[in-house]
Amino acid sequence: MSAPAIPAVPSARVRAGRSWPRAGFGGLVENAFRAHAILVYAFLYLPIVVVIVFAFNANRLATIWTGFSTDWFGVALGNGVIQKAIQNSLIVAFFNAILATTFGTMAALGLQRVPRRLRMAFDVLTYVSIIVPEIVIALATLVFFATAFDFINPVLAAASDGGAAMKLGFGHATIVAAHVLFNTSLVLLLVRARLSGMDRTHVEASYDLFATPWRTFVQITLPQLLPAIVAGFLLAFTFSFDDYVITSFVSGPGSSTLPLYVFGQVKRGVTPETNAVAAMIFAFTIGTLLIGQLILARHARRTGSRGSDASVAGMITEAR
Amino acid sequence: MTAAAAPRQEGSGRSVLATGLLVLPAAVWYLLLLVAPLFIVVVFSLGEKARNGGYTPALTLDNYGQVLARPDPFVDSLRLATIGTILTLLIALPLAYFIATRAGRHKGLLVLLLVIPFWTSFLIRAYSWLIILGPRGAAGFIGDMIGEPAFRILGTDVGVMIGMTYGYLPLMIFPLYVTLERMDRSLVEASKDLGAGRWATFRQITLPIILPGVITGSILVFIPMMGEYVIPAILGYGRTFLIGNALVLDFLEARHWPAGSAKAVGLIAVMMVSITLYLWFLNRGRRTREVSVL
Amino acid sequence: MRFEQPGITREEERDVADQDLNRLLARMARTKVNRRSFLAASGLTGTAAFLAACTGGGGATNPPASGGGASAAPGDGSAAPSAGPVESELFIYNWSDYIAPENIEAFQAMHNTTITYDTFANNEELLAKLQAGGSGYDIACPTAEFLPAMIEDGFIEKLDMSRIPNMQYMDPTLLSQKWDPNNEYHVPKDFGTTGILVRKKIVTEPLESWEDFFNLAVGKYSGRVVLVDSLGDVLTMPLKMLGYSLNETDPAKLAEAKQILTDLAPHVLALDSDTYQDKLATEEAVLCLGWTGPLLELRDNPETADTEYLVPSEGSLFWLDVWVKLADAPHPNGSYEWLNWIHEPEIQAAETEYNGYATPNLEAKELVSEELLNDPAIFPPEDVMPNLEGADPDQTDNPDRISLWADFKSAIG
Repeated sequence: MSAPAIPAVPSARVRAGRSWPRAGFGGLVENAFRAHAILVYAFLYLPIVVVIVFAFNANRLATIWTGFSTDWFGVALGNGVIQKAIQNSLIVAFFNAILATTFGTMAALGLQRVPRRLRMAFDVLTYVSIIVPEIVIALATLVFFATAFDFINPVLAAASDGGAAMKLGFGHATIVAAHVLFNTSLVLLLVRARLSGMDRTHVEASYDLFATPWRTFVQITLPQLLPAIVAGFLLAFTFSFDDYVITSFVSGPGSSTLPLYVFGQVKRGVTPETNAVAAMIFAFTIGTLLIGQLILARHARRTGSRGSDASVAGMITEAR
Repeated sequence: MTAAAAPRQEGSGRSVLATGLLVLPAAVWYLLLLVAPLFIVVVFSLGEKARNGGYTPALTLDNYGQVLARPDPFVDSLRLATIGTILTLLIALPLAYFIATRAGRHKGLLVLLLVIPFWTSFLIRAYSWLIILGPRGAAGFIGDMIGEPAFRILGTDVGVMIGMTYGYLPLMIFPLYVTLERMDRSLVEASKDLGAGRWATFRQITLPIILPGVITGSILVFIPMMGEYVIPAILGYGRTFLIGNALVLDFLEARHWPAGSAKAVGLIAVMMVSITLYLWFLNRGRRTREVSVL
Repeated sequence: MRFEQPGITREEERDVADQDLNRLLARMARTKVNRRSFLAASGLTGTAAFLAACTGGGGATNPPASGGGASAAPGDGSAAPSAGPVESELFIYNWSDYIAPENIEAFQAMHNTTITYDTFANNEELLAKLQAGGSGYDIACPTAEFLPAMIEDGFIEKLDMSRIPNMQYMDPTLLSQKWDPNNEYHVPKDFGTTGILVRKKIVTEPLESWEDFFNLAVGKYSGRVVLVDSLGDVLTMPLKMLGYSLNETDPAKLAEAKQILTDLAPHVLALDSDTYQDKLATEEAVLCLGWTGPLLELRDNPETADTEYLVPSEGSLFWLDVWVKLADAPHPNGSYEWLNWIHEPEIQAAETEYNGYATPNLEAKELVSEELLNDPAIFPPEDVMPNLEGADPDQTDNPDRISLWADFKSAIG
């Protein structure tokens, strides 16, 4: 089921029966791929490097370098507002990712067996959820929530008979709810893309061997889907963490996220403090990743498990 | 969807229940947080602007009549989105292929590394591009080299394209990666063993398998790019007036929600039609519908 | 692909329409339109008739938002709760970095309360959010021309000025403006002007008026001019050049202004409200139609210390940011306490020192440092004040002006 290991000398097979330039071309192509990958990662990380460097800028103007200073890190660390914002961002992004990944994966699986008409309706909705411009859905969702709250809150108040009624308002829950919509579609599309290329024979074999649907799912389908599910989780987390428009509309007091803080900063000029925060988040993330890698690698060495499981990488590639 | 669905267990009632439960959460979310708000948008689009802005109930098609009054934003958005999608695809495809087939043990790490930059606030990344591409960065450097002091990357389509491609790369890479990673290498090897050339192998074995990924990625990138306006505002110096700008103008500055809603409905309709045509065109002539509405 | 219509029949529509239409028309007559009217509107299509009947009929005839729970006094504030203890929390919705941190600390310590300071990025977003039904905040800080819209839509209500004695310190020339003729709804916060920023090191030509600005922009410094991305501010330039009011809506006069802007468009480098200081700093731009916010940093930095700010001779726009208490503020006592306390002279002076904008509080002005007081960019001199006009609230969304603006934006590029 797994992809065979790539031959150590890929051109060896090609060389037999082929002329020499082809082999050379093969090697060139390999190097081209590698070079391209390196360039793309450099492209992706170049702004991050700049962000980190300018976190040490002594000047308040974020884009003119005047001198080296670590002051802004101190400012950032002492800033309670930023910390709350990061906290909110993390909470919202995490819950949103969990929900979106779960809902999206479930739906992708369920849609396989749904009648064609209904599936098409779902497809339409999935695409529409991505097409609708953010400001439109943000405003409309806000109106929807406000309308719903206006309806529900009096009911809740009446039901509690003069005691302290639960009152629905804007905050973390509304933000998560709004984010989950878009991200569910994202996960749905990723998992379905994966499903559409999946080999059914193993699933069928599993049924032929009288395995229950649940076991089939857990032992056959899920491992094959895992890359898409994890990828979906990562993307869902990322989009939620960095979202501005929708969040700014459906948030409430005390639920401001980091993007809201940063965009608000713009009016007064983004200072290196924001860079410092970004640098620290980045350092924390990379640090956690490295530590995670080290721990898993050490665990693998001690328990003697196979190479690909013994890493964070192993968790994202399919299980053997 | 491909080929045969899994053969059912006995008791199709249970199966229907299971299917229903699987689809239920997403369905509920779509109903409450997509259909309901969109219904609101449609109602808005038929209304009129309230005195101080916003919406007041009415039943009129005036707003739809206004939608085509200024076609430029739509054309410019289309242009940017098309070029941006193609660029992103060209950059993402080799990388996705590399990670999926050549990275071995490090696959997951490389995938994770793709998103980590995007946990840095979008705005700060955009401002970094201002520094990198600005007169004290790349533009200045290139300008000196070619002897053109007023050379500029920012404020031009090039700057915008760099920013757009940068922002949407993961969205293209991920679908490509998840389909490529599934590709069975033995098919490729078999094809080569049977004497097929590289190109023929690619066209007949690889391409059909990665097509769902390419399509998903292209759509996932093209659609948001059509609505993008922040990147062109920052890296394009606000020199292009796009659909996204027009919508912000309607909803926030003009506070004419019905007008904005009508434009949004029009945009959604046009995009849906385009996507449907695109997919129909791709599926035309195929015996099995490998590429569904996806 | 077929899109489903909401499941209603023609008969249902008509019945509901008849019943609700009368109610709806009666309510609409008071033009307090917000999302509650949306409920009624949905009733017309039948689907939300149920919702409208439940909430519209039973709900307040005073539309101000939010149901249930303890909420602030309705309507005109005459039934305002008597002064009670400051609550344990206070929710402030403000521009970023717009309150001196030490003042926040002080207030929190004084009243044993926690202030939640959330930020918004522009007035339009604030208003749209309120109009769509979002809120939960106590105090907000919009720019003054947005007051009438907020008042009419019921988001803010009259203040019990007896609880804000520090209003006595306000500069009378800033009060009784079009946006709140009887000064019942707001407490002024900061004010400033829109003008021209210029790199004097590079632009050595005389520059005193919008006319000069225009000539330099289309001439020698073409391609090095930045305008803030703001309709009202940018329109000030051509209208003042022509000698009209910057709130002009007469189509003929707007057409003249449009001509000037059309001539200017090809020479504009960027429309940028947020990073124009960086463009000035790198000398990519040398002329800017903007505000005074970034001026202080630019002047502090030796490389860019030649940056100057001027209010053009034909006149310009002055802006006023104001404190308002939202109608459904969950913490009314804290709100009043804040509104008054922030204008204690020493507190207000600290605000000015922190954010570098002019205070409307004459008593506090006494305590502000000489440096700031004598800075014409911060405190407009006496001779400049008469040339300043405030934005007319009725024109912020005038369709002709908006259309002009959209055309201008399309023309740049």
